[in-house]
Amino acid sequence: AQASANGKKYTISDITVSGNSSFSEQTIVTYSGLRKGSQILIPGEEISESIKKLWKSGLFSDIEIYIKDIEGDTASLEIHLFDLPELTNLRITGVKKGKMDDIIEENNLNEGVKITENLITTTKNYLESKYRKDGYFNSKVIVRTYPIEDSIAKPRVNMIVAIEKGEKVKVKDINFEGNTVLADKKLLASMKNTKKKMILRAWKRSKFIEDDYKTDLVSIIDTYKENGYRDARIISDSVYANDNKTVSIDIKVEEGSKYTFGEINFLGNSVYTDEYLSAVLRVRKGDTYNGVLLEKGIADESRPDGNDITNLYQNNGYLFSTINPVETNADGNVIDMEIRISEGKPVHFNEVTVVGNEKTNDHVIYREIRTRPGELYSKENVVRTVRELSQLGFFDAEQITPNFNNPNPNEGTIDMEYEVVETGSSQIELQGGYGGGGFIGTLGLSFNNFSLKNIFNKEAYKPLPMGDGQQLSLRLQASQFYRTYSFSFSEPWMGGVKPVQFSTSLSYSNQFLYDSSTGEADKDRRFDIIGITVGLAKRLSIPDDFFTLSQSVSLQHYNLKNYSTGLFTFSDGYSNSLAYTIGLTRNNTWNDPVFPLGGSNFSVSAKLSLPYSLVNGVDYADLAEERQEQEDIYNDTEESSVTRTDAYERMGEIDQERFNWLEFYKIKFKGEWYTNIIGKLVLKPTVEFGYLGAYNQDRGVIPFERFYLGGDGLGSYSLDGREAVALRGYANQSIQPVDSNGNTTEDGASIYNKFSLELRYPITLKASAKIYALSFIEGGAAYNAFSDYNPFQLKRSAGVGLRVFMPAFGLLGIDFGYGFDPLPGEINANGWETHFIIGQQF
Amino acid sequence: CGEYQKTLKATDIGAKFKLGEQLYNEGEFSKANRLFSQIVPSYRGKPQAEKLMYMYAQSYYGMKDYYVAGYQFERFADSYPNSEKLEEASFLSAKSYYKESPIYSKDQASTKEAIEKLQLFINQFPGSEYLSEASGYIQELDAKLERKAFEIAKQYNTIQDYQASIKSFDNFLFEFPGSALREEAMYYRFDSAYQLAIFSIERKKQERLESANTYYDDLMKGYSETQFLEEADTKHEVIVEELKNYSTKS
Repeated sequence: AQASANGKKYTISDITVSGNSSFSEQTIVTYSGLRKGSQILIPGEEISESIKKLWKSGLFSDIEIYIKDIEGDTASLEIHLFDLPELTNLRITGVKKGKMDDIIEENNLNEGVKITENLITTTKNYLESKYRKDGYFNSKVIVRTYPIEDSIAKPRVNMIVAIEKGEKVKVKDINFEGNTVLADKKLLASMKNTKKKMILRAWKRSKFIEDDYKTDLVSIIDTYKENGYRDARIISDSVYANDNKTVSIDIKVEEGSKYTFGEINFLGNSVYTDEYLSAVLRVRKGDTYNGVLLEKGIADESRPDGNDITNLYQNNGYLFSTINPVETNADGNVIDMEIRISEGKPVHFNEVTVVGNEKTNDHVIYREIRTRPGELYSKENVVRTVRELSQLGFFDAEQITPNFNNPNPNEGTIDMEYEVVETGSSQIELQGGYGGGGFIGTLGLSFNNFSLKNIFNKEAYKPLPMGDGQQLSLRLQASQFYRTYSFSFSEPWMGGVKPVQFSTSLSYSNQFLYDSSTGEADKDRRFDIIGITVGLAKRLSIPDDFFTLSQSVSLQHYNLKNYSTGLFTFSDGYSNSLAYTIGLTRNNTWNDPVFPLGGSNFSVSAKLSLPYSLVNGVDYADLAEERQEQEDIYNDTEESSVTRTDAYERMGEIDQERFNWLEFYKIKFKGEWYTNIIGKLVLKPTVEFGYLGAYNQDRGVIPFERFYLGGDGLGSYSLDGREAVALRGYANQSIQPVDSNGNTTEDGASIYNKFSLELRYPITLKASAKIYALSFIEGGAAYNAFSDYNPFQLKRSAGVGLRVFMPAFGLLGIDFGYGFDPLPGEINANGWETHFIIGQQF
Repeated sequence: CGEYQKTLKATDIGAKFKLGEQLYNEGEFSKANRLFSQIVPSYRGKPQAEKLMYMYAQSYYGMKDYYVAGYQFERFADSYPNSEKLEEASFLSAKSYYKESPIYSKDQASTKEAIEKLQLFINQFPGSEYLSEASGYIQELDAKLERKAFEIAKQYNTIQDYQASIKSFDNFLFEFPGSALREEAMYYRFDSAYQLAIFSIERKKQERLESANTYYDDLMKGYSETQFLEEADTKHEVIVEELKNYSTKS
């Protein structure tokens, strides 16, 4: 072709293919995108485009397109190419069978893969560096290919990957030369990753790993810098093999002389005073020169939230500030420093956006963001926003990313984008089974990101109306003997103006008496409970904005129709419970609500009924006395049965009077702390306390609302508003209080406390499944009165467990606990118990 | 249906092509698509592939799987730049992206992509018969982005973060100068500034009142007959009244 700047238009008269390919000519021509009869520019884009296309197919090598012939304004082209050889057989030598598949996968050496020089080289390099990283310093990898020559035209090769790992190389000697101020021992200690082989030091490896060694050379210099030797350097270092198993290292240093800090001046600071900055810097005139400390005061690379000058500016809007330490004078080994600060403009957020919210509506997210348009930049608020978005539970906590876009130093603005990834947040529970003499079916639905306003909008059913951050749950459970229906709904920002959470729940259940003559339920003898609760919870800003104040009013109505329970002495009657609950919680745990790494969670609450006995004019002291008399008669076996039955009936009447409106108060406290010990190992201590009391001692503590310690703590089906408190290592609700006479009661405790210490370690924290292992020690005590109360006479236990959190199923877990103490009335330790946990966290 | 199942299980690619084409013509896109997806790799590079790939993409479109349809049409347009169906495929590719665009209050990545693709189509085929349809979609999508920015700014007003609301409306008005929501945006910007000024701490009050006043003037300049005239005037009177305190003092 003519080498003209502008190509000339030719019509393609013919396209031929040469070289060696198993593909048909037609296929290759079609693939090239060039067509007989079409007009193209030569030279021009079309030809280079089609060469690119053929390359991209990954099937050919040495691709060229020539002009074979030009006649007038027609040209015939020739595509010249070769098929890349395919891999037929692969042999890997020098590693165990189990490792071979990994090697094949990591390097993509599957059968049929096209072999290029590039693939051969990358495979060799990849494997060699992989083994070096593991301490096989002398590893060698040879990759050879052998063309297969037979009657099949397709070029194919066999490949051999020969791996010689050699021995793991250990460090025999490390020799220093040139060091006079710092002893060998000190320098060796600074090499954190490369250690000499020593018999007595079995706990630290002495493998030689090149990357680690390089890091350690820097550490040596840092050690000098910390001691005033600013000019120290390594003149030479050599690593040489003694034999196949060990290497020796010679390091030659030049120490230079010792320096001290002279004048330290700050330049360019207008926001903070010299004194203030100097205090943050922690370096003073006359100090031994310490390069490492200086760096930490300017910008601590090892701690992103460190207390240094850079962060001081960053957290207060000065995003574009730069801090440069400059040595201005080094006379007589005294170094004068200038800390040159360019503050830049204070930066305000311009646009703040969220991307990736494919299900959740904007308004649910934007109201939670703490970095708003027009506000001063603050790194701290960005971090907190990320934490709080993850706590909504709609997004994968590990994948929320804050992106800074369009920084504009002149205007002093920056755009902020939060990138989120939605996770499933609805759970479905569908169960059926036999238990308690018949079929039990459960249907539970809980939607954590519901949209109530779209409930009649057909378009929104994909598959359900979602995205307004509301919670809705429905639960139906039915068997022959009982039915329970419950519904609850909550909206985190009622009215959309302030973070005031509105929640309501309704429940209705009936229990039928077992008729022993028919073996079926007797539907005329029943116990019905209707409950309704309405609550408001408000986020506070004082004392700090981690606090939430919640209030609720609840009403329960219990109705007995010819049904005896252990709760009452009467079998026909009713009881009402109207109570007001006020609670204060403070939760600053972070980051992932399933596996918090830090922070604490406190809650204190009081549940109160009205003090009816103050105003209703009933003399409960009198009633209590009469009841005691009747009880004595009832318990007196010498009385006639008619008298005793009458006495019991009278007791029932008195109890109906006592419990027509339940009168009580209940105080609860719970505190848990999360501390990140090492890496992701988390320690979680918990303290709990609860007390149920009566305003009028003669009216007495109610048989409802009591605490039942032991087991998994799951809220089992219960009629009496009881609270199941988890205590592993003991059977469910087995820890009953013992009174001062040593008698065990069976009706739950009115005082309890519990201490627990748990260590957790995550196995995986991926969005699809979060799994962590735990071990615990805990103890709890249950009592019926303060006079018996001893908070340290605990039922103790210890054990291990596992939790799996999957978005569609919620939390599942299993714990094995050993109870060290005997249950009330027993002599031996309770021993091992297995607990299954569904949907609740300890 | 028996023939369909038989063909589906058989290995004869020619028969699959034929039946697939027949089903495709009858509007049985889902069935046709299953057949096509089996034979697409075998026809790679063959002359019939062009027709097959076109029908394959169309079948996704017919199944309302716009996400894949968009990709398949795009792939078709890339692979067969000389096809007579090029224009149609390019348009349908862009239209598929348009169909994928969600409600304004969710992530708008596909909306932006759709606008880009539609614009690309318009640039590439300026004389296309689909031109007015394409530009109609672009307008619709632009309006969606405007609505999104507007609602976010308005939410800041609702949750009483007036400073953020003013800033967001400023950005909105700058970014969408021709928006249909402009009048409303200017009113709510004024309202935010008014609320911020009225409940302001004393030190900043005068400055904020004056700034609210400018926003009122801006609104009046643009929309002297605004639908919010009554509310705006009432608030404006309050501002004027409050400002008197400052002028008499000085």
